[in-house]
Amino acid sequence: MCILCGCGQSYCWHQSHPSYKKAPTDSIAVTGLDEAFVVTRSSWFAKRLEISKDSIQTFTSHFCSKAFLEQLQKSYKSVTVIPDVAFSHFPEESQKLDTRIFMKGRLPEQGIVVKDSAGNVPAYILIIHEFTLGTDLQRENFYDYALIHNEAPEKKTSQNLSAIVSYTLWDNMKQRPLYSAVNQVDQPNVKLTLNDISKIVASSVQQIKQELTAGVK
Amino acid sequence: MKRFILAILIFVCSAFADNVFFHNHWTLWKDADVLIWSTDKVPALDSKEFCLSLKRNNTGIGEPKCRVFGEWERDSIAVRYSGWLIANMEGNVKAEHLRARHPAMVAKIESIEDKLILFIGERDGKIYAATFDENAAEPVAAGVFEKTGDKIALGDKIAAAFFDGAAKRRLTKEERAKRMTEPDESYKEVPGFQGWAGVAVGYSQAKIPLTPDNWYSSHTESRVRNYRITKDSASLWNFIDDSDPQLALYAGGTWYGFIGAELMYRYAYHKVKTDNKDTVYQELSYWGFHQHEIGINVVLSRTYTHTKWFKTTPFAFVGFQYSFFVEDIGLKDDSKEHSKAYDVRIKFEDSYKGALVGIGSHFVFFNHYGLGLRAGISSRGRNIEEDPSPEAAAEPTTIGSSTIDCFINLGLEYHFSM
Repeated sequence: MCILCGCGQSYCWHQSHPSYKKAPTDSIAVTGLDEAFVVTRSSWFAKRLEISKDSIQTFTSHFCSKAFLEQLQKSYKSVTVIPDVAFSHFPEESQKLDTRIFMKGRLPEQGIVVKDSAGNVPAYILIIHEFTLGTDLQRENFYDYALIHNEAPEKKTSQNLSAIVSYTLWDNMKQRPLYSAVNQVDQPNVKLTLNDISKIVASSVQQIKQELTAGVK
Repeated sequence: MKRFILAILIFVCSAFADNVFFHNHWTLWKDADVLIWSTDKVPALDSKEFCLSLKRNNTGIGEPKCRVFGEWERDSIAVRYSGWLIANMEGNVKAEHLRARHPAMVAKIESIEDKLILFIGERDGKIYAATFDENAAEPVAAGVFEKTGDKIALGDKIAAAFFDGAAKRRLTKEERAKRMTEPDESYKEVPGFQGWAGVAVGYSQAKIPLTPDNWYSSHTESRVRNYRITKDSASLWNFIDDSDPQLALYAGGTWYGFIGAELMYRYAYHKVKTDNKDTVYQELSYWGFHQHEIGINVVLSRTYTHTKWFKTTPFAFVGFQYSFFVEDIGLKDDSKEHSKAYDVRIKFEDSYKGALVGIGSHFVFFNHYGLGLRAGISSRGRNIEEDPSPEAAAEPTTIGSSTIDCFINLGLEYHFSM
């Protein structure tokens, strides 16, 4: 089954709508940048970046959000940001990617188009549901419902800086998810700097763009 | 010529214009309330005419009552979903892509009970239709139809596309309430009683595989001289052929997928192993025995379901049987008088009693059609229920008091469950 999906040995991490015929090339709207970014092992990050433990979450999520938007603006000619508030009243729903893989997120209601702050109706909205930054993360531990209760061992060392992002390309005109996926990016961790974080966020955006193109049916 | 080709093209296009995207199984209720749900200003269907179309198309549908589904046409959540539905109905979608996501809409669909809902709407000059039942928040069937001014013709087409098949009687309120409390059939792992009946062909032989030949050679190499003389008479295989095809009929059942019983009948024909060197047989045309066996087995089994349509049930059985050997002998037409030895030829017991033990497996396809493969060992011995004769000590030993063979057979089976 998974061979047919064109993905790894055991999991299928993405799903396309049968009517997903054309990926957005020039303009895209994005939402989720305010609340999607989360850092695991925050004290480890705080120590490395020399930022106080209390403010590490807020700091990194702002930083990642900015880096994400910057890279997105490099990849697309026009990027519209829709604040998370526009989505917060929609109920949280699950999308099934594989037999045991479910991703959660807020999706607009059927029959309702989402407008940006200027009142325009964007054709495509990239909804970032969760963006998890950490070390040596495995996406199946977050999205396979049989594994999510497993406790990870306490680790002293880390090989990779990793980012897991779950997102949906939303057809705003017909209110349907065109492409949904969970991506994982790993980057060898030498000495953590802010530059490493912006690099992993940037490669994550590039991967999203590649996958959106590859996912066209 | 061009016009002709154009006319053909138009004809071909119109033939393919009606298209059913998907049609999943649903319960078609007899005498149903059919609710026509449309958000168009002028509905493409006339409810009275549609009822007549239903009756014309499917005589088993009873007396359906059709009406416009005003409750949903005035409901803002249903209106929003219907607008979304009409925009999203495309040829390549499956039912899951048209699922209602709003919790209130899901609840509405789940509460329609035994009514049949037909959604109908117009987009780009075509009529899109979908049906809903209470079981899922997604359409059961969907399709697109060419728009014509003829509402009756459209109704006929929709009725033929979506409302075919056998209709079921609607449940009363009490039956419906009772059904709600019943456990879901899908969760029932094994039926209370699983039965089967089958007919099998097979083969039996005295030599049991993987055992030394010399255990059997005294029986299998034995020949009957002068109608009755053999080296010993412990086994019937001293007298008759020990490897022959057989036919079996059997029927049985298991309770709770574990323990069961089976009745069986087996038939085989064995020729007598006459000694060709013996001239006394020159008068003989044929000589053999019909073997009839009836028995009952206790079966222990376990069912493994591999896919929805295929399961295997390995089993072990042990039982007892009665064997009857009916002699079939004929002399050549030209032999006027038969020998004395013919008159005093061997006689088998009236019946033999024995046991059989073995293993096998049923391979069941689509819950009903099966193949059965089994192998085992069976024995035939003296029927100890006979009263011992007063001259028992003086009587010769019973012929075939220890007749053992092994068998394998393959059967075609029909399975049913209760």
